[in-house]
Amino acid sequence: MRTGAPRGQVGHFHEAGFYSSDAEFRALIVPFAEGGIAAGEPVIIGYDDRKNALIRSWLTDPSAVTFPADSGMYATPARAIAAYRRLFELHVAQGAGQIRITGELPNLGSGGIFDGWDRYEAAVNTVWQDFPVWGLCLYDTATAAPVVRDVVERTHPRIVSPSGARRTNDRFQQVADFEALPPIPDPLEQTRPMIELVDRSAAEARWALARIGRGQVTDAILDDLLLGVSEAVSNASIHGHPPATVRIWAAPDRIVISVHDHGRGPADPLAGLVPAAGNAATLGLGLWLIHQLDIDVALKHADDGFTVRLRGGNMIG
Amino acid sequence: MAGGDPPAGLAAMRMIGPVGSYRELGLQDHVCWVHGDCGDYRPRLGEFFRDGLERGLRVAYLGPGNAGELREHLDRFVDTGPRSDRAVRVISFEEFYGAEGPVDPAAVINRYDAATQEALADGYQGLRVSADVTDLVRAPERQDAFARCEVLLERYSSRHPLSAMCGYRRELGDAVTQFACLHAAVLAGLTPFQVFACGDGAVGLLGDFDRACQGAFERALRRIEPAPGDSTLIFDMSQVRFMDHHALLSFDSYAEACPVPVVVRSVPPIVRRAAGVLGLEHLGHLRSGELG
Repeated sequence: MRTGAPRGQVGHFHEAGFYSSDAEFRALIVPFAEGGIAAGEPVIIGYDDRKNALIRSWLTDPSAVTFPADSGMYATPARAIAAYRRLFELHVAQGAGQIRITGELPNLGSGGIFDGWDRYEAAVNTVWQDFPVWGLCLYDTATAAPVVRDVVERTHPRIVSPSGARRTNDRFQQVADFEALPPIPDPLEQTRPMIELVDRSAAEARWALARIGRGQVTDAILDDLLLGVSEAVSNASIHGHPPATVRIWAAPDRIVISVHDHGRGPADPLAGLVPAAGNAATLGLGLWLIHQLDIDVALKHADDGFTVRLRGGNMIG
Repeated sequence: MAGGDPPAGLAAMRMIGPVGSYRELGLQDHVCWVHGDCGDYRPRLGEFFRDGLERGLRVAYLGPGNAGELREHLDRFVDTGPRSDRAVRVISFEEFYGAEGPVDPAAVINRYDAATQEALADGYQGLRVSADVTDLVRAPERQDAFARCEVLLERYSSRHPLSAMCGYRRELGDAVTQFACLHAAVLAGLTPFQVFACGDGAVGLLGDFDRACQGAFERALRRIEPAPGDSTLIFDMSQVRFMDHHALLSFDSYAEACPVPVVVRSVPPIVRRAAGVLGLEHLGHLRSGELG
């Protein structure tokens, strides 16, 4: 009997499940994948190598499912959204009536790395609504911290248990109501910055960053930070309220930058996660570009204004 | 040279980029001299012409008024030493740029070409010209055509022994930058970016292109057209330090509208990175080094 998303489901049918053992993981994922295979629906599976190997061993025909080869798919929340979107477009173009995806967020046990993924889990309730997607997000209770579990419960409208029981989640918050986690402060932010620039141009910020960052991180990461700080400073001057302050911290192998202004920041909860429609110059393409780079991006709304924090290099301070 | 190696095909010894002074200008330099008043311009003009005469160039001063007035003006303010009228020419604005209304850029360049060829035929190493053109561009309706003229003059001087110092007074305000950015050499601090001509016909871009100068960049692009008969328009980006998404989108739109395919070469990694993220449609064929 078909469970979960009904045939012909329009939009993203977003479920979460928790497991505490490989057996529970198997109980959650095998029916999901086998059901998709039996229905002739594309099944996309994205876990780490160990779990992918387990899944292959459990499925009757693992060649019938897709294990994306792109290891950078989960590099950042915005890139994961974009990468999956491209996959969905491909499958829909090939005639898929429904697409099943299941995966896990990277490195949840590392602490702090969940930064930003709470917005991802909230956003995907909206940003894939034009695709027939059944998404199953599975979390290991051994590595998911309480705060992660709380976010999962607030971002998934349905919960499935290893027994197969499904329930509507009354803790679910629509994306417009979702309260994102505040970014975890970076230890470097508690120290004196290498430089502080007030109401200076994007070019001056880039110049300062290039001078400070050269040799601290790879050239590729420094380029991404230069693109990021430039867009953030331009946004602050266009959309924010002065004064705009850029602070740059540097430690061996990593750079932290904050760009703060006294405006309220973007009101759109999806800001940066998806490209803006319409007039790109005024509707957030710069913020989206920042989120596509190989750097950590955190947005902080506070009483004293809006901050974009960028981190490159080794994220663990 | 403003950092890095000369762009491919660039005429040897041509001064490119923001510069601290205009001493030692070569046979093909095209420089913008922005000054406060004539008292600032004239000494530079004197240096420019004396240096040109020592290099065996014919020098020509362009200005308002008839030949007699210009000659008197030049003799009074610029000491070119004991030279013949053959070596030091005066040309009225009216003769080169027309009496009134927007200039005809192609016609102006034809006159520069004729004057350059005449200098060569007369045994000189080339032609060196200068003018304070402020009064020619004061009217907004004349600015676009004159800027197009600067683009063609830049292209011409990159391939012929014509060196030019174009004087603009600061009283023009922000309008000055739209002309300054179209010269191969410009005093540091006047414009964050420049559009210049490489010796092989490519258009060189130099400097920083971001939101702060997006309008100026779009305006500069509108004034660049493929040379007659060219099947592609090549942009050399080896001297680009930075280009944000605003500039890249403007550039992509320009490429879309261009009557011939736009090809970019020597794209710096940071520009390639941003263009790749944006998935630009019309600059999608980014090439690096393929064209020299």
